[in-house]
Amino acid sequence: MKIKQIIFLAFIFFISWQLSGQEEITIRIKEGMPMIPVALPDFQFAEASLPNNEIKSLIYETLWKDLEFSRVFKLVPREHYSYISRFNANAINFKDWASIQANILITGQLEIAADERIIFSLKIYEVNSSKFIFGRNYGGKKDLCRMIAHKAADEMMKHFGEKPLFTSKIVYVSETGTDKEIYIMDYDGFRPTRITFNNYIDMLPSWSANNEKIIYTAYRHLNPDLYMFDIYSGKTELLSSGGVNYAADWSPGAEQIVYTSSKDGNTEIYLKDMKTGQDKRLTFNPAIDTSPCWSPNGREIAFTSQRNGTPQIYIMDAEGSNIRRITTEGSYHDSSAWSPDGMRIAYVSRIEGRFDIYVFNLKSNDIIKLTENSGRNENPSWSPDGRHLVFSSNRSGRYQLYVVDYDGRNIRQLTTSGENKMPKWQRLPK
Amino acid sequence: MKKTLVLFVVLSLIILFNACGKKAVKVAPVQEPVVEKVEEPATQVEKPVLSEEEIFQQKTIEDLNKDQVLKKINFDFDKYQVREDMKSILQANANWILKFSTVQILVEGHCDERGTIEYNIALGEKRAEAAKNYLASLGVNAAKIKIVSYGKSKTLVQGVDEASFFQNRRAEFVITKK
Repeated sequence: MKIKQIIFLAFIFFISWQLSGQEEITIRIKEGMPMIPVALPDFQFAEASLPNNEIKSLIYETLWKDLEFSRVFKLVPREHYSYISRFNANAINFKDWASIQANILITGQLEIAADERIIFSLKIYEVNSSKFIFGRNYGGKKDLCRMIAHKAADEMMKHFGEKPLFTSKIVYVSETGTDKEIYIMDYDGFRPTRITFNNYIDMLPSWSANNEKIIYTAYRHLNPDLYMFDIYSGKTELLSSGGVNYAADWSPGAEQIVYTSSKDGNTEIYLKDMKTGQDKRLTFNPAIDTSPCWSPNGREIAFTSQRNGTPQIYIMDAEGSNIRRITTEGSYHDSSAWSPDGMRIAYVSRIEGRFDIYVFNLKSNDIIKLTENSGRNENPSWSPDGRHLVFSSNRSGRYQLYVVDYDGRNIRQLTTSGENKMPKWQRLPK
Repeated sequence: MKKTLVLFVVLSLIILFNACGKKAVKVAPVQEPVVEKVEEPATQVEKPVLSEEEIFQQKTIEDLNKDQVLKKINFDFDKYQVREDMKSILQANANWILKFSTVQILVEGHCDERGTIEYNIALGEKRAEAAKNYLASLGVNAAKIKIVSYGKSKTLVQGVDEASFFQNRRAEFVITKK
């Protein structure tokens, strides 16, 4: 009897060990997944097209940079194209493309009318089977060239089971002189657009779940109050005032926001129903509670609390219960950002006066450091696909926005003029 | 006859007293004015004439704030408790506010740049609140004091040494109404 029990328990243990082992493996495969080798030969002009090389190279280079950024696709180096016969859209020699290790062939044809109206035809082939996979036509004027390329890159991502991110935008605060205003730009730093026009301090913008509204804090009445700006109607409405009101994060699943406020005398975390406007206080502690951030399933909230003496990252259930501490080492952590896959939390740590961005893996408890020995690095925000983060850093003197991959690779600077801070990357609308 | 005598005595006493008073007034200036007038230029003589009350009456709120009639206090790194050496400044500020009971005050809490934006807003709030509570403990009506936190968005000095950081970790007392 007893032996049977022991065997049974051992069996259960073995199964659960196996399962967790399996999970661990799938994560590794996803992160270290080999990138898909793609070839992107020069685009062709249609017979009736104006041979506008400026437009052609703008779309081509933008698409190239998107795919290069993706960490999903690996571009076969352009030099290798010279080893094989020139690309001919009417008679594609797939064996040639296979010989330079391309799995996917991306071809583009442009038809540019006299008024610079563009029709861009994208066709995707699988090299080994010599098969056409899918195609899209994009139309627009010259000023939409970058957007056309981003849409084409997004289509590639979607086709290969990945989340689109190249048409996603980043909201941030830009400072020129004494003016601190809110801007929106493309994910790659191009096409910045100013959205607030005032003389008071604007700070910590974030997106609504449908990406149509920006919630931010403004010292409009000499007090940090929380406002919501509708990008499409241009209307601004006051959400919360009295004490400090900031760091809002819109729920991924419901019409709710969490934010920090001291309206009752101490900085606490509040949950606001955006339909009724009703507030529910989630934390009750004389210490500082701040910087709330939803888990992607909307069931939990990560936040910063100083309840044990120093600012540490905690997680609580969305109702405010079941509070547990995440960071155990170090004496200063803040600005948590939950990854879209729900498995990681990025945050800022101050260690010996240095501010760096760290990523905590909730499954394995592993911590990796994304930035190293380079100024102050702050306010991380994940890309919609969770492979990249945008953050601000003063490594070049003034604060600028940078992107980095989830593993700390490929740091690149997005902004150069003025001072730019507090970026928030759009999430994918549901 | 008796009445005239009494009147005479009273009058002579008044004259005597008056003479004494005048003498006392005259004695003091005789000793000093020569020294004063030689040493001090006219413009400087005018200044001490204005009493604290007169300054308060004549100056605008902006000028009073520019002159920093209320002094700012500084805080320790990462802390929001009022430092021992800052308590005398708060006492002086409290005395001034109590003297001019019509004023309203805004306490601004500020931080140095060695903190995150979000946490510093909360920390600045705590600093402003600590300063307000201390003033209230000295008898200032708390209803006259509002607080605001600027976090690290309004640093006073640019610098990467402790002296600069110290100057930036502060609470400022702004007069908003008089």
